[in-house]
Amino acid sequence: MPHGQLVSEPLLPGESLSSVQAQARRPILRAKSGPALSRESIHTVERDGISYLVSENYSYKSEAYYAILMQETQGLRVEPGTKAILDAFVVPICLERARMDGIPVADYSISQSCIPAPAVIYGLNYFACTSHFEVLGQDDSARELVRHVTNNGKYPFCSQCLDAGARIERAVSIFGNVSCTDPAFAEMAAGVWESFRIPLVEIVCIRGPGGFKLSSICPVRYSRLTPGEKELLSLYLSGQVFL
Amino acid sequence: MSRLGIFVDRKTLSSTEQLNALIRCRDTAEEMGHGAEFIFPVDIRKIPQVDGLFIRARTDPMNITYVASRMAAFSGIPVIDDPDSIQVCSDKVHMYARLMHAGVGIPRTLFISHRELTPGRAREVFEELGSPVIIKEPSTSFSLRVEKVEDPVALLQVARRYFKLSDWVVAQEYVESTYDWRVGVLRGRFLYACKYIIPSQTFKIQDSVNGHIVYCGVESVPPAMVPPAVIDLGVRAGQSIGNGLYGVDIKEGPAGPCVIEVNDNPSLEGGEDTAYPHVYRDIVHTLLET
Repeated sequence: MPHGQLVSEPLLPGESLSSVQAQARRPILRAKSGPALSRESIHTVERDGISYLVSENYSYKSEAYYAILMQETQGLRVEPGTKAILDAFVVPICLERARMDGIPVADYSISQSCIPAPAVIYGLNYFACTSHFEVLGQDDSARELVRHVTNNGKYPFCSQCLDAGARIERAVSIFGNVSCTDPAFAEMAAGVWESFRIPLVEIVCIRGPGGFKLSSICPVRYSRLTPGEKELLSLYLSGQVFL
Repeated sequence: MSRLGIFVDRKTLSSTEQLNALIRCRDTAEEMGHGAEFIFPVDIRKIPQVDGLFIRARTDPMNITYVASRMAAFSGIPVIDDPDSIQVCSDKVHMYARLMHAGVGIPRTLFISHRELTPGRAREVFEELGSPVIIKEPSTSFSLRVEKVEDPVALLQVARRYFKLSDWVVAQEYVESTYDWRVGVLRGRFLYACKYIIPSQTFKIQDSVNGHIVYCGVESVPPAMVPPAVIDLGVRAGQSIGNGLYGVDIKEGPAGPCVIEVNDNPSLEGGEDTAYPHVYRDIVHTLLET
């Protein structure tokens, strides 16, 4: 099981209890070396007869998804699998799969109307992406947020209760390694990697009185990686770090 | 006595026929000595309490039906449609790739990536498939995002529109017919057959013509009147997808029958099973008694 890389990346301000687009506040920086991480580029790392496909967008019906699907259809060994991708990016399924693999996960419920606040909520519909979640506060905006996420009650959503003092934290996982020094995140990233085998994802967690729990995992754009993350990814892509 | 969960989405309940079909399913389970209850999206946590789950809502890996199916699978509960079937059948690229790999006859088919589609490639598609060409957005249902194009320029226009929803689209040889066979397959066995009579104004089983929705006619056909080659092809197509319930659409082209698509969650509310009164019994038996 991989261990966390000790590259310092402090938490960004304003991440807790506010409406956030998960990737929105990372600086855009370049890697020092390695393959070009251009927009929508897809990279492959070969290890022990398995192709690990690296992409900033693994979503359903994306170029990366179909590249993986074609390899699966031919009986080739490829990671991540299309099923893992589907599981990963639909929050309740992600949490259930992770829970079954021994990862601590946030308690969740599926609803179509108002829920107790504060809570973090994810849309469950064709256009929802886990990288965009909302934090429901105890104020007048709650009803409007639910209306927004459910498209006026048309679609259900997944909610996770936020206990007093709980905060949302995020980290990018690169082949199961995170660039922050937090051992809880390092352990979480390793567990998520073992379960889903997705080389590049952002892990969203809730840290609170009940512990450190997985909230969701979501895709991450190359342009949002920090220099340390880009360097780490480049090392994997160029074969200088082994899985 | 076992408990059948029937997963429904209120968005699915748009017609009396659909509601009647759901009630017929529930009544059949009860006549067979089982309990039956409807499960709505907000009741997903009840899924581990049932002994079998029958999903009767529009399936897609990106909607709540896939969550329900996956939850049932996590709990080891028999489910129709199972997650694999939803994944394959909801995506025409996946479905055709599976059929091609299994050697099931389909019209000549190409997958086109947004990265490779140029005017030159569009011309090549016509050279390979002839004219007209059918363009499909992979996750379309009820032929909503299926269009017939006559030249490379139109192909480019339609494909670029569909690329907003998918990085790949399907281009397929056009097979003309006045009706499609629909062969129902359950656990790899023939279940029912009917004809979908295509409206004269269109080439699809459902279309919007001058602002009005036109639907196909449905004609349930007894097994003795279905060509054996059609039944055989339908069963092989179903088997190539998985072990669930499928509605296989087949056209009889000049080169013989070919599969147009395999649907999970096939419609049973339009009279498809009129000549096959045992269909719901077979489904309930499969979920609860095997």
